[in-house]
Amino acid sequence: MSSNMIMLKSSDGASFEIEEAAARKSKIIANMIEVECVDEDKAIPLQNVTGNILALVIEYCNKHIVDDDDDVATEEASEEEEEAKKKKVDDWEAEFMNSMSLETMFELLLAANYLNIKSLIDLVCQTIANNIKDKTPEEVRKIFSIENDFTPEEEEEIRKENAWAFG
Amino acid sequence: MSSPKRPTKQLPSLPYDLILSCLARVSRLHYPTLSLVSKTFQSLIASPELYKTRSLLNRTESCLYVCLEFPSDPNPRWFTLCRKPNQTLTNDKKKSSGYVLIPISNPNSATPGKEYNGGLVAVGCNIYAIGGSIENADSSSVSILDCRTHMWHDGPSMWMKRNKPATNVVDGKIYVAGGCKDSSNGMEVFDLKTQTWELVLSRSLKNRILKSTVVEGERYSFGKKVGNPYKPKEGRWEDEGDRKYQYWNLDLLMALTCNCVIDNIVYFYSTYGGIQYCNSGTRCLKNLKGLQGLPKFHGYSYVKFADYGGKLAVFWDTCLPLGGFRGMKISCAVISLERRETKEIWGKVEWLDDAVLTVPRTYKLVAAIAAIL
Repeated sequence: MSSNMIMLKSSDGASFEIEEAAARKSKIIANMIEVECVDEDKAIPLQNVTGNILALVIEYCNKHIVDDDDDVATEEASEEEEEAKKKKVDDWEAEFMNSMSLETMFELLLAANYLNIKSLIDLVCQTIANNIKDKTPEEVRKIFSIENDFTPEEEEEIRKENAWAFG
Repeated sequence: MSSPKRPTKQLPSLPYDLILSCLARVSRLHYPTLSLVSKTFQSLIASPELYKTRSLLNRTESCLYVCLEFPSDPNPRWFTLCRKPNQTLTNDKKKSSGYVLIPISNPNSATPGKEYNGGLVAVGCNIYAIGGSIENADSSSVSILDCRTHMWHDGPSMWMKRNKPATNVVDGKIYVAGGCKDSSNGMEVFDLKTQTWELVLSRSLKNRILKSTVVEGERYSFGKKVGNPYKPKEGRWEDEGDRKYQYWNLDLLMALTCNCVIDNIVYFYSTYGGIQYCNSGTRCLKNLKGLQGLPKFHGYSYVKFADYGGKLAVFWDTCLPLGGFRGMKISCAVISLERRETKEIWGKVEWLDDAVLTVPRTYKLVAAIAAIL
């Protein structure tokens, strides 16, 4: 069953072939497969995901489907092995996230949300959280293109009262 | 998105629940900084949804609060511990490990104008200030600080007026004793579920209760003599015949101006004994070992403990060497506790910040307490 391949098509027309087991990481696609609205010859159109982002999603799903299979195969693995395996996945995820820009990260999060891939949502949210912490309010504004909606007077007051946060 | 490249990168905006999901994964120590980003962030940081998300994601954590009194201000002031942004630390890296006590500010919510030495308990994200005195009159009122929004609101009042009562939380109930002019007015119990007070009559409270503590579900009270323990589960006072509690001795009572119970061990500080603990099994006092890097506190110092998620948080003050002794600095350390094979407990200083706040010399460090957020 795991050799069953399905096709995904991005919003900009790129087609990707992916193992069904990997595609099932997405609840949306899994549902489509369940209700048999997937035509074997036809690609599933994903209107909200561009090709470059879909490629990342597929890379993530492929990586994790292999890990899940391993879990089943070595049910009686020792604690140490489990730990080593978890570390391997953590390292891979860190590398995976490290390689992308914040912009890509946001788009990946939106795609993961649209496709409903919970573990990927968790991973990207955590990475964004790590990016926010330890930053000054100004840095956070810059990173996230957040409009500073305090009035100049309010801003001055805030800076005076919270000098510790602005440096 | 295939639009041509703009000079400044425009990030796609995230839907509300995804922003919440990101913020919920940031330690609460950073929230005061994040609330300064924009009005939207400010309201997100105080929103119940954020704290619901934190609890769904298992991201709740202990958050430290301290209550200070200043002679110039009749109202006690509350501060919370947070972390400074990294960038601000480059200038004074040597001095500070980046923690700071900041005033909780909410213009719509003044701290109730009363003293509440002793009558403080934390339940989840709320801090209850129970009884106290308002303009020199004892009070039966209960004020609740919601640590998510930093707003105070009134809770149901007690039956009795109590100043500096002894308070504890056991199994979803707040136990309050002492603090009454008439010492026969026993104990009151607040059921957090039903939000009601109930009086518990007692035969053994003839002595004026000053302090209380809860170890292994039994509530001990201390006055001029040690009171019989109250067993909340059975709803009764322990018999005179069972004397195991008699080992709670005067030393302990004296030391209770600064105490806290973590995992059924009472930790306390006294100027002559330093940081000690009392094992509920043996009921004898032992010095907390280890503590490398922790300075010896001065005799004049206020020292306050709080249970910081199973670790011991310590706040203490020192006169500033310069400025004609007019100022004080408050320091903070978090100590992890490890029970070694010999059954001794060792404390390891996880971090120590020499000055999380500077205050005028005439202030008073009333209490330290941790809420769960």
